[in-house]
Amino acid sequence: MSAPSSPSAMRSQTAARVSVLLFVCLVVQHAILERLTFAGAHPDLMVLLPFAAGYVAGPETGAAFGFGSGLVADLLLPTPFGMSALVGCIIGYSTGLATSGLVRGSWWITVVAGLLATAVSLALYAMLGAVLGHPAMVHVDLLPALEVGIPGAVVMAAPACSLVAWALPRDSRSGLMAASGPAR
Amino acid sequence: MPPRTRRASRPRLTLVLLVLASITIITLDFRGDTKGVIPGIQHIAEDAYSPIRSASDAVVAPIGSFLAGALNAGNLEHENALLRNENGDLKRRILQAEDARRRLAEISALDHLPWTGNIPRVDAEVTEDSTSNFDATITIDKGTASGVADGMPVVAGAGLVGRVVDSWSSGSTVQLLTSAQSDVGVRFGSKGDLALVTGQGKQRALQVDYVAPGTRLRKGEVLFTSGLQNDIFPAGIPVASVASVASSSSATQESVTAVPEAHLAELQYVSILLWEPAS
Repeated sequence: MSAPSSPSAMRSQTAARVSVLLFVCLVVQHAILERLTFAGAHPDLMVLLPFAAGYVAGPETGAAFGFGSGLVADLLLPTPFGMSALVGCIIGYSTGLATSGLVRGSWWITVVAGLLATAVSLALYAMLGAVLGHPAMVHVDLLPALEVGIPGAVVMAAPACSLVAWALPRDSRSGLMAASGPAR
Repeated sequence: MPPRTRRASRPRLTLVLLVLASITIITLDFRGDTKGVIPGIQHIAEDAYSPIRSASDAVVAPIGSFLAGALNAGNLEHENALLRNENGDLKRRILQAEDARRRLAEISALDHLPWTGNIPRVDAEVTEDSTSNFDATITIDKGTASGVADGMPVVAGAGLVGRVVDSWSSGSTVQLLTSAQSDVGVRFGSKGDLALVTGQGKQRALQVDYVAPGTRLRKGEVLFTSGLQNDIFPAGIPVASVASVASSSSATQESVTAVPEAHLAELQYVSILLWEPAS
């Protein structure tokens, strides 16, 4: 697809790509990943999207993308609405900030960053749940979620970054990522 | 403010605004009832996603089944689930009949209590297992359009599955017994002793609380919903069978665990009892 010339056309193309990405990720999450249950937990692609946005496009876009993807994820979750959005914007921003000066020469840097972001996301989500009156989210559900979520992040971090890099416009991506694409 | 500083502080401002927006949304969700704005949006999204779920299940489910180790077992899986449900249903009827006989022999004034055998039911198919790693729930394909409402008990196989915690036009979310947020009042034994069964998370044994020290409780004994006044379940539904009993001389209660009578890990069809708890 040729690059759109005007800013409004570029915005429309970005909105369309982000919508397609979120829709596809939501369907993949609910149709495939939820079936891969081990020890009562399943891998979570939606948790990785805020990380990928922060990693690919920096703190501001990461926060906004994390908020949006979190809201979309919350639509079909039984947990309190807005929790994924809150965790998503914090993770997107933090990832962007923490990795902005990183030299991304190897694929394993993406994997390690994704793994850490997933662990922090899940812990933050569980702690927020505990604050909101569900203490079992920390002492019952967190450990299985980490046991499955971390290997899931190892496998899905790099593909998630590639997908987000495809959806976001080039000028919003951080320096090295824009020049070389996500670490593969 | 110099332009450079303003540019540097913009992401921080964006984050602060988004965090505030998230907290506002969470607060609205917490303060609103089931007919509030946020649940309304979620129900619209669930209704809109239902056909996509069906279509994606038809297309993508084989991939998921393959990855889960169930390649080419779709038909057998379906048939097995139906037979399991039928077998469990028969087992539940036997257990309920035994319980009914015991109840009739022991107490003559039970006629006014609700009895699960008389409660109309709606059968539903499980469309999704737990959508979140942080709550043990399932999604089913029957909702308010079929008469389902929040709070209704759900049974399958030999016993209780859980209760409806959210319902929209074309589906419902059912909180499973194993959810750490689930508590069920039960009774057991010839004297009808009371206890409380609480969930400990997915694929973990249930905990049975308030069993007095010295209570005679044998492994395999079935616990039934108590149906006490204002209980959230009608009386007489098999909930779980005792898996272990441990006594300690200094403990204030017996340490008891139980396993659900229904096979919660392999649910494909369930029945919703059209019974709402007294408010």
